[in-house]
Amino acid sequence: MPAAGFSGMPPQPAKDDIDTTWTYLQDGITMIMMNLQQGIDLQTYMGIYTAVHNFCTSQKAVGFALHNHVIGSSQRGAHLLGEDLYKKLSEYLSDHLRGLVAESKAHTDEALLSFYIREWQRYTDAAKYIHHLFRYLNRHWVKREIDEGKKHIYDVYTLHLVQWRDVLFSKVSEKVMAAVLKLVEKQRNGETIEHNQIKQVVDSFVSLGLDDGDSSKTTLEVYRFHFERPFLEATQVFYENESKQFVAENSVVEYMKKAEARLDEEEERVKLYLHPDIAIPLKKACNKVLIADHSAILRDEFQVLLDSDREEDMARMYSLLSRIPDGLDPLRTKFESHVRNAGLGAVAKVASDADKLEPKVYVDALLEIHTQYQGLVKRAFKDEPEFTRSLDNACREFVNRNEVCKSGSNKSPELLAKYTDVLLRKSSTGVEDAELETRLVQIMTVFKYIEDKDVFQKFYSRMLARRLVHSNSSSDDAETSMITKLKEACGFEYTNKLQRMFLDMQISKDLNSGFREHVQTLGTKGLDSSYSILGTGFWPLTAPGTNFNPPDEVSADCERFSRYYKNKHEGRKLTWLWQLCKGEVKANYVKSAKMPYTFQVSIYQMAILLLFNEKDKNTYEELASTTQLNNEALDPSLGILLKAKVLNLEPGSGGASKVGPGATFALNYDFKNKKYRVNLNVGMKSETKQEEAETNKTIEEDRKLLLQSAIVRIMKARKHMKHQQLVSEAINQIRARFVPKVSDIKKCIEILLDKEYLERLDEDEIGYLA
Amino acid sequence: MSTEKVNKVTLTSNEGSNIQVDRVVAERSMLIKNLIEDLGDDAVAGHPVPIPNVNDPVLRKVFEWCEHHRNDAAQSADDDNDNNNRKKTTDIDEWDQKFMQVDQEMLFEIILAANYLDIKALLDVGCKTVANMIKGKSPEEIRKTFNITNDFTPEEEEQIRRENEWAEDR
Repeated sequence: MPAAGFSGMPPQPAKDDIDTTWTYLQDGITMIMMNLQQGIDLQTYMGIYTAVHNFCTSQKAVGFALHNHVIGSSQRGAHLLGEDLYKKLSEYLSDHLRGLVAESKAHTDEALLSFYIREWQRYTDAAKYIHHLFRYLNRHWVKREIDEGKKHIYDVYTLHLVQWRDVLFSKVSEKVMAAVLKLVEKQRNGETIEHNQIKQVVDSFVSLGLDDGDSSKTTLEVYRFHFERPFLEATQVFYENESKQFVAENSVVEYMKKAEARLDEEEERVKLYLHPDIAIPLKKACNKVLIADHSAILRDEFQVLLDSDREEDMARMYSLLSRIPDGLDPLRTKFESHVRNAGLGAVAKVASDADKLEPKVYVDALLEIHTQYQGLVKRAFKDEPEFTRSLDNACREFVNRNEVCKSGSNKSPELLAKYTDVLLRKSSTGVEDAELETRLVQIMTVFKYIEDKDVFQKFYSRMLARRLVHSNSSSDDAETSMITKLKEACGFEYTNKLQRMFLDMQISKDLNSGFREHVQTLGTKGLDSSYSILGTGFWPLTAPGTNFNPPDEVSADCERFSRYYKNKHEGRKLTWLWQLCKGEVKANYVKSAKMPYTFQVSIYQMAILLLFNEKDKNTYEELASTTQLNNEALDPSLGILLKAKVLNLEPGSGGASKVGPGATFALNYDFKNKKYRVNLNVGMKSETKQEEAETNKTIEEDRKLLLQSAIVRIMKARKHMKHQQLVSEAINQIRARFVPKVSDIKKCIEILLDKEYLERLDEDEIGYLA
Repeated sequence: MSTEKVNKVTLTSNEGSNIQVDRVVAERSMLIKNLIEDLGDDAVAGHPVPIPNVNDPVLRKVFEWCEHHRNDAAQSADDDNDNNNRKKTTDIDEWDQKFMQVDQEMLFEIILAANYLDIKALLDVGCKTVANMIKGKSPEEIRKTFNITNDFTPEEEEQIRRENEWAEDR
C-alpha cells in the first residue's frame, strides 16, 4: 500500500476489493459529473486513476487468474480484471440518467431544450474526463473484450453515449424534438430565436449515432430517424398550409417571389444550424410543397408572362420549376408554340404581297423574332439546351411554313439567297465590312433553319455566277467568308461548285494577263478584252439559245484567244456564252456632245450598233440576218436601244410601229443623256422571272436525281431491304438538303425498278442488282 | 482555462521527493498528457503531480528514458489499437539496450511504472528486454534466470509439453 504522503489526497482503497474501490471512485466520479466547473484537483485525479490501475492489477486477482487458466484455457494470455468496475460504472451512469429523466419532466418547450443541452454538455464533458481516468481499464480489459468480439462492451466514453441513448434519449427525444420544431416554426414566422440551441441538439443527436458493429464508427441513423424525419414532416406541413393560404390571397408572381425567398431561407437554415445531411431531403421536401404542388397554376401563368414579355418573372418561374423533375417540359411546349406564332405573325405582317416582298424585309422579320426569343432563352432560361431546342423547333417551323411559303416551301430559301445577293453585290448603298460580316452571320442563323437547303444552293450559285461574270461582287473577302460559312454548315460537297466557280475566276485573271502579253508580242492591236473560262458542270449556265455571228472586230480577238487557249490546254472545247458577254462602245457621231458618249452594252447590242457604222438605217431583217440572232434575243436588245433613244424607229417605212419584221431603225444623231456613260445592258423583268421559274424547275429534277442516287447508295451497301426501311433510310440521308416527300421516294424507287437497278423480292423486300 | 503555457512539470514520487522535467518530456506519459489536458495548465503550474505508485529511483530512471526520447513521434490517444504497427521484432536500439542494463528488480519496476504511467514505447522496450532474456533458454534455465520454483506436477508438465509440441525447435 503506497504511503499517503500527499496532502489532501484521500488514502487509496484496498486495491483488491471492488466495493471499497468503487465507493472511493464514486465520490470522485460524482464530483466530475456534477461539479466539474469547480474543477478537480491533481490529487483526486491521480487518486482515481491510481485506484482504477491498482484494482486492475491487484495481486489477488492475478493469482486467481493463474489458477483458473493455466491448463486447457481457451483464452490467450492472462486474465484481465475490470469487469466489476465496468459494470459498476455502467450502473452508476444509468442511475444518474434516470435521475435526469425524472428531472426533465418538470420542463417543457424551450426550458426543456435548455435543460437537455445543459445536461448533455455536462455529461459529455464529464465523459471525456472519466474516459481518461479509466484509461487503464480501456487499455486492457475493454480492449481485450472487444478484441475477443464481445458485443455491448464499449470504451468508457462510448459507454457514456450508449447509456445516454438507451436510458435518457429514448424517453425524452420526442419532447426535445417537439420543442425544436416549435422553435423553428417561430423562426419561420419571423421571430428571432436562439438557433445555437438547435445546432447543439443536432450535434447531440448526431453523436448518438453509434455503429453497433464497430464502436469507433458513427452512423447518422439515430439522427435521421429522430431529427431529420420529424423535421421534414413539420416543414412540409408548415409550407403546405402557408403556400395554400398565400396563393389564395396573392398573385402568382407574388407567390413566386415568396417561394423563392422561402427556398433560399431554408438553404440558409441548413448552413446556419442544421446538419448538412438534411440539405438534399429538405430541398426535396420544400420543392415538393412549394413548387410541385403549385406547378399547375405556375404554368398557367407562363403564357401571361410570355404575352406581356416579363422576362424577370419568367426567369423566376424557370428557376423554380427547374428544381422539380419534369417541371420545365410544359413550359417548353408553351414557349415553342408561342415563338412559332410570333414568327408566323411577323411574317404575315410583311407578306401582304408575296410577289413584291423585299428579301431584306422578309429576312429581317424572321431574324427579329429569332433574336428576341434567343435573348429570352439566354437571359431568362440560362441558355438551357432544351429551351434552345424548343426555340430551334419553333424557328424551323415558321421559317419553312409560313404565309409567304404558302405557294411552296422554296420561297424561304429563295428569298434568303436573294437577300445574300443584295448584300454581296456591289451597290451604292453598300454596307461596311464589319456590318456586312454580321449580316452574313445573321443569314447563316436563318439558313440553319432552312429545310430546303438545296433550293438555297441553287439560287445562290446562280446569283454568285452572275456576280462573278459581271464582276460586280462587293468584295472577294465577303464572298469567301460566306462560302466558308456554308461549308461549315453543310460540308464540302455543298460548296464544292461554288468554290470551283470562285477558282475559275482567279485562273481566268492570270490567263488574261498572259493573253495580253501574248498579244503584245504579236504586235497586232487587239481589243481591250478580257475572258473568263468557266468550267462546264460547275456553273449553272447554259449555252445561248440563239445563233450569233459576232462582229468582225470582236470575232478576230476571240479567235486569237481561242488559239492561245487551245495552245495552252490541248483538247479542250470552248463554248461561247454570248448572252453573258458585254462591252463598251463610244458614240463619236453625236453632234451635240462635247465628249463622246460611252455605251455599256451587251454583245448583241454591240453587234447591232456596229452595223450602223456602215449605214444610218437598217431594217429588222438586215439586222437579223447579219447578227444571226433569233427574235427572242434580238427583240429585247433592240427594245432597250429604242427606249434609250439610241436608235429610232423610222416611221412610215414599212408601217410597222414596233420591233419586229418590217421595221426600220435609224441612228439618232441627236442623242442626249445626263451621263456620259450610259448603261444599256439592263436585264428585262421577264428575263429574271423566267430564270426563277427555270431554277425552280431544275430543283425538282435535281431532287429526283439526288433521291435516286441516295437510294442506289443505300441499296448498294445493304444489298436487300424492306421497302419501308429503305424509305426511312433515304429520308435520313437526304434530310440535310431538303425534306423529301414519301411519295417522291416511292416514285424514285419505281423508276429504279424500271431501270433495273433494283428488283422486287418477296414480302415487300427490295434487292440490289449490280 | 489557462492563460500561460507551462513548460515545466514537477512530479512527486511516492516517497515525497520531487523531480522537475520539461513538459514535453512529462507528456511522453499519456497519463500526464491527459491530466494536463483535462485539468489545464494552471493546475500543474507550481503544483507537483503526485505519482503514488512509483518510487524516486524508478521515477528518475523512467524520465531519464523520456528525456532521451523527447523528440520521438508522440504517442497518440488511439495508439491502443496499433498492434499492427508495432515492431514484431525483439530488436532494441543501442541506447535503450544500455539503458536497460539494470538489475532484474529495477527492470520489473520500470516495466510496471511504464504500464502505470502509460508510456507505451518504454513498456515495449522493457518487455522486449525480458523477452530477450528468455529467448533460447530451456525451461530450467528460465526458472533459474527469474528465480521461479517449479510447482507443476510431472503429469501437468507432460501435458503442457504435448500441447506445445508444435512450437518445439526441431
